[in-house]
Amino acid sequence: MAEFLQSIVKRSPWIYRINAGSCNGCDVEMATTALIPRYDVERLGCRYCGSPKHADIVLISGPVTAVVREKVLRVYDEIPNPKVVVAVGICPISGGVFRESYSIASQLDAYIPVDVNVPGCPPRPQAIIDGIAMAIEIWRKKF
Amino acid sequence: MNIADFLVNALLFPGGLFAVLLGLFLTGLDRKIYARLQRRVGPPIYQPCIDVVKLSQKEMVIPKTANYTAFRLAPLLGFAGMLAATAIIPVAGIYSGLYQSGDLLVVLYLLSAPALALVIGASASGSPYSSIGLSREISIMLAYEVPLLLVFFTIAMRVGMALGGTAIFSLSSIVNFQLSHGSLLFDVTLLPAFVAFLICIPGTLGVVPFDIPEAETEITEGPLLEYSGMGLAMFKLTGGLKMLVLAALTVALFFPVGFGDFWLVNLVWFIFKCILVMFFTTTLIRAMQARMRIDQAYKFYLLVPTALALVSLVLTATSFRVG
Ligand code: SF4
Repeated sequence: MAEFLQSIVKRSPWIYRINAGSCNGCDVEMATTALIPRYDVERLGCRYCGSPKHADIVLISGPVTAVVREKVLRVYDEIPNPKVVVAVGICPISGGVFRESYSIASQLDAYIPVDVNVPGCPPRPQAIIDGIAMAIEIWRKKF
Repeated sequence: MNIADFLVNALLFPGGLFAVLLGLFLTGLDRKIYARLQRRVGPPIYQPCIDVVKLSQKEMVIPKTANYTAFRLAPLLGFAGMLAATAIIPVAGIYSGLYQSGDLLVVLYLLSAPALALVIGASASGSPYSSIGLSREISIMLAYEVPLLLVFFTIAMRVGMALGGTAIFSLSSIVNFQLSHGSLLFDVTLLPAFVAFLICIPGTLGVVPFDIPEAETEITEGPLLEYSGMGLAMFKLTGGLKMLVLAALTVALFFPVGFGDFWLVNLVWFIFKCILVMFFTTTLIRAMQARMRIDQAYKFYLLVPTALALVSLVLTATSFRVG
């Protein structure tokens, strides 16, 4: 039964984006390149949702600056379980070009558990889609 | 009508299970065609079923600021209203509706149940975005109900006067009248009313040019913002049912005539007509239009469809006085 459920559920991952102080490069890559008609992730059942309460997979971009950290944590807490976090771009992984900046205390996985890292500055659309596919595999096992 | 018949009608065939599945199928088809219009592959047609299953397995987060009871019960209210509506609307050649008189007005009331459910749920959730969404939902509802009521009244009058009496609001009489006298769609005086009714459908459904209450890029899905898990699944089911109810209502009011007496042929023909209505009123317009502002939509509904419906009303009234 659980396996049957997992095989159904994995076809409907809804995606939510959090911008944690990104330079917008990764956001452009996520919103307008990876998920446009050309690559069409809707055929995998993915959907962008506007509300964190509807989300299954969270894409976080940006180096988690001091100002935005509290808000990111709050939004993260609002996402109903089971959920999976994908860190998009080099920023949330190590700080990237903003590394050792005065406004960055630590990288993303010091605050919340990160399931998939997609490195790149910004990553290619194919890499982002691949990261989402890996996230779906992790996510379905949580049901 | 005995109790067993009633239960079958309300829970299995036109209402209940069948309606829920058909509603989900229509939603899925809508998404598929929409994707094809954008030259995408699109999700499979059964995608909405998967979504509902998934949502029912997710946690339901209830905000601390929410009114617990109202927040939990609101999705059920809309769902129940739509289920009742599916049991009332007759399908020509298969099913003749639950009540004998007055049901067109009941349908009008039931049609506002999902919108009211959204309003109750949104106000109970205590989120500022939801309250913006709910004020928009109420204004657009006020705007589209005027032409809707006028269209209903025109049809009731047309059928009633043709039968030599006053307005007849019974849906089964309206359908029976068309089965013996031909579809109302081919009546020139009712053509403006037909167009007005079609224009009202996207507003009632809240799809793209009129999805102002739920604008997800702007007020993050408005009234649905705080809903997750089962509550959201209920709203998705209600949305599918609403699409079905509106399509079935269009078919019943304007072109219910089927082929012969065999139920299977009639059923397939009915589903085909529902798909046609959905395609022209929802999918095509959704793919072609961008979202309006709330004041634009409000003015649009109070001007265009209302004027069209009034034209039909006057034409119908005068044609019978002269003739
Ligand atoms: S990884 Fe590069 S492109 Fe992405 S947010 Fe950081 S600096 Fe911008």
